[in-house]
Parts: sequence; C-alpha cells; structure tokens
Amino acid sequence: MRLKVSPRLISALVVALIVLFLITKNWGGASVNAKTISSFLVVGIALGGIYAITAGGLVVTYATTGIFNFAHAAIGCFLAFCYWQLTVKQGLPTLVAIAITLLVIAPAIGFLLDKVIMRRLRDAALVVQLMVTVGLMLTFMGITLTIWSPKTGRTLPQFFESSKGVQLGDVTATWHRIITVVIALLVALGLRFLLYRTRLGISMRAVVDSRSLAGLTGAKPSIISGASWALGCMTAGLAGILIAPETGLVVDNLTLIIVVASAAAAIAQLKSIPMAFIGGLIIGLAKSFSSVYLEWGTDWAYADEAIPAAILFIALLFLPMARLETGKIRITKRTERLTKPWEAALGAGVMIALVGAWANGWIPWISGTTFGERSAVWLGRGAGFMVIGLIMISLIPLIGWAGQVSFANFAIAGIGAVLFSHFGGQNGDAIGIVFVMLVCAPLGLMIALPALRLKGLYLALATMAFAEVADKVIIRHPNMLDPSATGVLFKPVNIFGITISSDPSDRRAFLMFLVVTFALLFFMLEMLRRTRWARRWIAMSDSPAASATIGVNLTTTKMMVFMLSGAMAGFAGCMFGLQRGALSVDSFPLFAGLPLVLLLAVQGVRYPVAAFMGVIGLASFPALYEVLGKPSWLSAIELIGPGIAAIAMAYRPEGAVFYSGRDLAGLLPWRKDARLEKELMVAKEREQNIGKDEINDMGLTRPFTPDKVAQLDRVLDITDLVDEKKMVPTGGAS
Amino acid sequence: MSAILETRDVVVRFGVLNAVSHASIEVVEGRVTGLIGPNGAGKTTCFNVITGLQEPTSGKVFFEGKDITNKNPYKRARMGIARTFQKLEVFGSLSARENILVAAEQRKTWDRSGFDPNKVCDEMLAKVGLTDVSEFMVGTLPTGTARLVELARALASNPRVLLLDEPSSGLNEEETEEMASLLRKFVDDGLAVLLVEHDMSFVMGTCEYIHVLDFGTIIATGTPAEVQANAQVQAAYLGTETVEEAS
Ligand SMILES: Nc1ncnc2c1ncn2[C@@H]1O[C@H](COP(=O)(O)OP(=O)(O)OP(=O)(O)O)[C@@H](O)[C@H]1O
Ligand SMILES: [Mg+2]
Repeated sequence: MRLKVSPRLISALVVALIVLFLITKNWGGASVNAKTISSFLVVGIALGGIYAITAGGLVVTYATTGIFNFAHAAIGCFLAFCYWQLTVKQGLPTLVAIAITLLVIAPAIGFLLDKVIMRRLRDAALVVQLMVTVGLMLTFMGITLTIWSPKTGRTLPQFFESSKGVQLGDVTATWHRIITVVIALLVALGLRFLLYRTRLGISMRAVVDSRSLAGLTGAKPSIISGASWALGCMTAGLAGILIAPETGLVVDNLTLIIVVASAAAAIAQLKSIPMAFIGGLIIGLAKSFSSVYLEWGTDWAYADEAIPAAILFIALLFLPMARLETGKIRITKRTERLTKPWEAALGAGVMIALVGAWANGWIPWISGTTFGERSAVWLGRGAGFMVIGLIMISLIPLIGWAGQVSFANFAIAGIGAVLFSHFGGQNGDAIGIVFVMLVCAPLGLMIALPALRLKGLYLALATMAFAEVADKVIIRHPNMLDPSATGVLFKPVNIFGITISSDPSDRRAFLMFLVVTFALLFFMLEMLRRTRWARRWIAMSDSPAASATIGVNLTTTKMMVFMLSGAMAGFAGCMFGLQRGALSVDSFPLFAGLPLVLLLAVQGVRYPVAAFMGVIGLASFPALYEVLGKPSWLSAIELIGPGIAAIAMAYRPEGAVFYSGRDLAGLLPWRKDARLEKELMVAKEREQNIGKDEINDMGLTRPFTPDKVAQLDRVLDITDLVDEKKMVPTGGAS
Repeated sequence: MSAILETRDVVVRFGVLNAVSHASIEVVEGRVTGLIGPNGAGKTTCFNVITGLQEPTSGKVFFEGKDITNKNPYKRARMGIARTFQKLEVFGSLSARENILVAAEQRKTWDRSGFDPNKVCDEMLAKVGLTDVSEFMVGTLPTGTARLVELARALASNPRVLLLDEPSSGLNEEETEEMASLLRKFVDDGLAVLLVEHDMSFVMGTCEYIHVLDFGTIIATGTPAEVQANAQVQAAYLGTETVEEAS
C-alpha cells in the first residue's frame, strides 16, 4: 500500500516549524516561570475574551443575514466613544451609560442599518455587499473623528479601576479583566441559547437559507434581520467598551479590530459561534504570548500587530475546499453591450483631451483660483489623482470581471513604489518599472493563493489582512523603507523623451504622460474585454460551477487575472513613487486603500471608464473647495461621502456609470430599447426588494383584510410587469 | 453495448439524509437514457456526482472504463462530459453568443482538431435556433431561451455524454417538442444522453432506457414500457401525484 500523507498534515507541520523558528529567533529572554506564565494567561484570556465577543457578533450577523460586516469594529469604536461621552463627559453612572449605549444606541443603529441598507443587499453581488459595509466603516470612522477630535487625548477608565483586583499566583488580575472574561462567557452562552433555543433565534438562522422558510416560523423577516443587526451592533459596542481602556480611545486602533474579528471568523468558518470564541481566544493568547516572551527587534518592530493577520492566513490554509454551488446565481437585467473599438478609442481620446485641456490652460474657466490657474500644486495634485486612477483601473479585471474582491492592490502599489526606489528609481532608470511589474504580478498571485480554493469572501478577508501586514511589517522594514532616509527617493525618469518626476517643472509633462498611459490602459482593457480571457473571467464570476463543467480550470484562470492586476498595480506604484518623490513609512495604510475600491465600486466596477470617473470624483472635492472658498457644508458632505456611497450602492448596485449611461442612451429618441429595459429593470428591482418582504411580512395568514389584499395586488401587479413574455427582446440588438 | 458512463454504488449523504444510496446508472452511446423520479429523489445529486460538483460519500464513477471519481470537474468536462442545470447556470452578463463562445474556446485547450470557435459558435446558435438573439445579454433573456443557451453551451464543448437536467421546464409545449427532436438528432450523431425530466410524455417518447430513482434508490430500470408497468414505480409516482394535487 502506498503511504498517503495528507496535504493538511504537511501544511500543519510546515506552519508549526515556521512558528517555532520565529519564536526561537525572537525569544525575548523572559524566563518561563509561574509569574510570566500566569501574566501571559491573564492578559491573553482577557484580551481573547474581548476578541471573542466581537468575533461572535460578527459571525452571528453573517450567519443570520449573509452579509459580512466590515463596519463591525468601526461601529464598536463609535459606541465606545458614545460610552465615553456619557460616563466621562456627562458623568452618568457606569451602568446607566452602558445601558444607554448598548441597549438604546446600538440596537437603533442596527435596526436603522437593516431598514435603510442591509435588507436590499440580500441578493446583491458579493462586491456590492462588501463595499457597502466598507463604506459604512469609513463613515463611522469619519463621524467619530469629527465628533471627538483626535487632537484631544481621551482615556476610558477600567471597571473598578481603584480596587486592586484578585491575586492569582504572582500576578494580579484586575477586576476589569475578570469582568471581561465573565462577560465573554455570558455572551457566548447567551448567543448560543438565543440562536438554538429561542423562536427568534431559530428564525434568524432560517432566514439566511430561505426567506420563505423563515415565514413559516411565524416571525416577520424584517424584524428578524433587524434583530440580527441590532445584536451585531450590541456585541461590537460591548467589545469596544471593554477594549478601549486597554488600547486607548483611538479610532484607527479600535477599527482595526475588524482584522482580528475576521481572523476569528475565518477560524469559525463564518458560521460556528463557539469556534469564533475559540478563535478570538487563540488570537488573544498569541498576542499576549508575543508581548510577554518575544522581542521582535527594531527591524520587525511592528510584527506584533501582524499576528491576527498571520493567524487569518493560517486558518485559510486549513479550511475545507469550497463546493461549487449551483442554483445560486442571480440574474440581473442589464443593458450592457460590448464597446466597439472605435468607441473605446474615442473614449481614450476624450480622456486625454479633457485632462490635456485643463493642464495646458485651454479651458478659460474659473480663473482666479489656483485650480483654475493650474498652479504647480494643482498639477501635482492632478498627477496624484491620475496615479490613484491607475490603481483603480487595475481593479477592473480583477473585481469587475473575475469577481475577485481584493483590497490588496493599494498595498501592492505601495510595495511597488518602495521596490522602485531600490531598483531604478534612484537612478531614473525606466527599466526598473518593468522589473517592479514583474515582481508585483506574482506578488498579487501569492496573496490570493491561500484563498483561491475558498469562497470569495475569504479572499476579501485575506487581502485585507495582507494590506495590514504590508503596511505594518513589510513596508516598515528598514531594508524596504528606511525611516531615517527622508530625502527624495526617485530621480526623474526619461521615457520617450518625456521627463517625469515630482519636480514642479516636470509636473505638466508628468500629468500628460499619466493621462496618456491611463487612456492606453483603458483602451487595452476595453479590447481585452473582447477577448477570450475576459470572457472566461466573467463566465467564472457569473457561474463558477457552469464554468468548471465546460472545462475551465478555475484555479489557473484566477491566477492569470491576479497576475495581470498585480502587474498593473505595480506600475501604478512606480508612478506613485515618482509623483510623491519621497515616501514615508505610513504612506500606505489599509484605511487609505479602502476608499479607492469603494470609489471605483460606486462608479461601476465592471466598466473601465469608471476608473476615470473616479479620478474626476477625487478631483472634484478639492477643486470645489478652491473654487467655492471652503464652505463648511462641503466638508460635511465629504465626511459622510462614504456613507452616501454605501447607500447609493445598495440602491444602485451596478454603479453610477451604468445607470447614467443607460439614462443618457434613453434620452436618444431612437434608443427605445434602453427606455424599455430601464422600465423592466426598475420593476424587477421593486419586485425583488419589496415584493417578497411584503408578502412575507403579511404572512399570508387569514383573515385577508382588504388592506392585505390591496397590498398583495400591488405586489403581484409589479410581478406582472416583469412577466417573462414581456422580457422577450424586441427590435435589433444595439 | 458497453456503457460509456457508469456510476457504481454511489452513495451521497447530507448529514443524516441519504440523498443517493447505492445508485448504479449506465449511460450508453447513441441513445437517450432517462433518469426519473419524484421530487427530491436525488436525480440532480447524481448529476453533480457525475460531473464532479459533489463528492460521493462512497461509490465510483467510470467514464469510458476509467475511474474518474476523484477527478476535478474541469477535467471531466475535458474528457467529454457536459451538462445543463435544473436551475439556470448561464453567464448572465455575457451575450448568448459569448456564452457559447466561452465553451468553444475552452475546447481549444484539449481538442487539437483545429476548429474555429467562432464557427462552432455559429453552428450551435443555428442548431438551437438562437441566431436572432445572439447579441443579447443572457440575463435579459426569458428562461426558456436561456435554457437553450445552456444547451448550446454544453454542446459547444463537443461532449461524448450530455446530461440534461429537466430541459423542458420553462419551455412551452411547442418548444418541448422541438427540444425532443433536437435530442433525437444529437443521439443519431452518436452522442450519449442522460435525461432527467418530469414531463412523462417527453420521457416516454424520447428515452430508450430508463432508471427510476426514489428516495435515492434505483427502484426500477428498463425500457419505457417495462418501467411503466412496474408496480413500485407506479406507487412512487402515485404517491407524489396525490401530494401535487393537494398543494
Ligand atoms: N447541498 C445539499 N445539502 C443538503 N441536502 C441536499 C443538498 N443538495 C440536495 N440535498 C437534498 O438531497 C435530496 C435530493 O435532492 P436532489 O436535488 O438531488 O433531488 P432531485 O431528484 O433532483 O429533485 P427535483 O426533482 O426536485 O429536482 C433532497 O432531499 C435535497 O433536499
Ligand atoms: Mg433536481
């Protein structure tokens, strides 16, 4: 008999060896005795308890609504600040403040989110679901930062801070920590009881599988999903309140707990609440182990913060392969057609003309402002926006076509920029750009590798974790970016006789160079969309199961698109470096990369032109500030911009480019088809969004009051309009 | 005649539910084999096992005498197994033409006969009568038409065995008849077809040989006449008929 070694066992051994190696290499010299062990355990279990609470809530929301809430920790952060306001600022008793925060504000946020946004996302594409919650996360961060300015420091006292705590062996466990652990246990038991023993909980679990099934249990689906969100917000808030005294009331820190919660959720395979708690505990213990026993040294000063991300990656390695599911595809109605080559060329030409006209002062518009006069500052900013556009356009094939939601491209661009400063950038050598692209292509692939065989959501988690690792560990390593070398890292590069650099005198040429390359990439993507590669990616995204059964190797197909996107992001990174001239270690935080994906998604992630619209969107705020003279309402809009974007996406999932394109076509007298299809699509959406909920909410139980019948009629009426026969295309294809 | 495709003692268990228990099915070239049974009998699950979308709990799948139980779905497709789906699995944001083209282009990776994917695509469109709507996004087509797109897509990979999961659902009577005559044509070209279908007149009219599944177990096999005469089959179907009337 052949000896069969399971690949899992091998990976487990490899992971164990690597972890052992890291531990021995970075051993801090603390002796392992009762004292250190007990302090490791006390801190680890308390920290793990907090993580467990937030992860448990995240998993509950996901398991009951099917939506992974990236805003989970940001909401917790907001609630922790609310709690601070109530206790420290207003001086309310602790218990009252907790009750107001967790039993009033948190559920209110949950129900509101469900009502306004989340309910519409049930059947939305993964990218829409994720981007909406990312938008919310940015909004909650923005709101918190505005209400509670980060310039003033705040601390949240621990519970029973004055009393001594309990002596456990050689260490004292503060009451705060003991309470934390007790609360974590209570929450775990409570959630378990709620979901498995109560009617509401059972309905909550049923609702994600089948809306109609939930109807059978007698609860209104809208109340069930509202309850799920309220519960999620409450756990987030609880965790925020418990952890803020340990980490400080800092928005970034509290929001980044989402990485921890994601890692625990991955360990729980997104569904098991007990495993989510264990996952949280593991991460807490690992972090505490590292702080008690390990000494990372100056080169890896931030390695500690990468522990949750590393655990996430390890968890992904051991998850079972995802089944290719069938019967889950959503057919949306789209009036989309292939762009013809001449149209793409025209589009590229318009982009170059538009930017060129502005950069060269051919638009005699709004002079008297630095925007209108195109000062060197503005030309530099313009180049910056185009660079962001390059990063956004690298996401079109990956997210828009292949349906692989990745948050890593900004980080890849960051690594690309740093690499370029080492290879070529310092000498103004253009070959370095090619080199960086060749490195970034496999890099993009490597990030995706652990998640390739898993559900799409795991890829989003993995790429987010990578973005965090890249920012905290990779880019901050002195060999990558030396914090002491603050000077210009990039010499001007000469390409085809054009000198591009951050130098004020080169900025106009640089901007023109960028818009021309952007337009070329746009044109190339539009042409690529017409080839078998793009077709295969889109097919894979629409139905992985059907793709496999016509012979598509999903793994290699995904690999190709990751490499393409990685190379494009690498190129964008080189341009980023050239445009900035210098880089600082905090140039590429996770929170700077997320808005780009959001902006692109709002514009329409399937359409290359959306990246250009994103650039215009980016430029519009600073431009309006200049022209209008910094009105305060504009900054308010800018602050809640991500929130508006999130809501817009819930209602307009295809992206602005699509809807405005269709509406514009509808204005043309001969495009009757566009008008007809819009009508059908709107009706279809209404049916999907309202119809089912209303029927379910009515419960269709006797007695049938006239009200109910009227409502039913209305619902059915809408359904009638999308009757299949009317869907038969009429007229020629256009 | 030896079977080109065969499942041997396939068992699929979902938790406590035996969706398929010890099902052995044979599919022979040049004829339509029927796989019928009441709702939830395990027909679609059998298809998933054959195409590799569902790993069987035990049992084996053979194709042309080779054990393919552990092969990836895409490898089976490349060997010549194609299918359609009970719930549509079309590429909704591609046009009808592109749907078929993807399959035809994919065939290039294993079929070195130097065919032109675009030509294959045109042929298939003509064969199922979709030439007029070829440029429409499939997401905007009615279900019946989309079903034909799926069929054409399956055919474009030039399979040896074609598995059809309720091809007539969503079609009207006329279209069903067309589908039946299309099937005959494929079979005459040497294709082996395994057909899951609820429309009994369709099944009895097209299949030369039928397997009957009930609660995951094959309760009868034989020619349409034999199967119809089988008491167990009648009981199984009568059982569902009454249920259907009640609902
Ligand atoms: N992924 C799954 N997980 C759990 N149970 C499943 C799964 N897929 C199918 N089943 C169950 O297995 C049984 C057989 O299902 P299957 O879809 O194969 O039946 P079928 O014969 O195709 O029915 P129909 O005529 O309704 O299409 C059903 O009871 C179904 O609920
Ligand atoms: Mg079935």
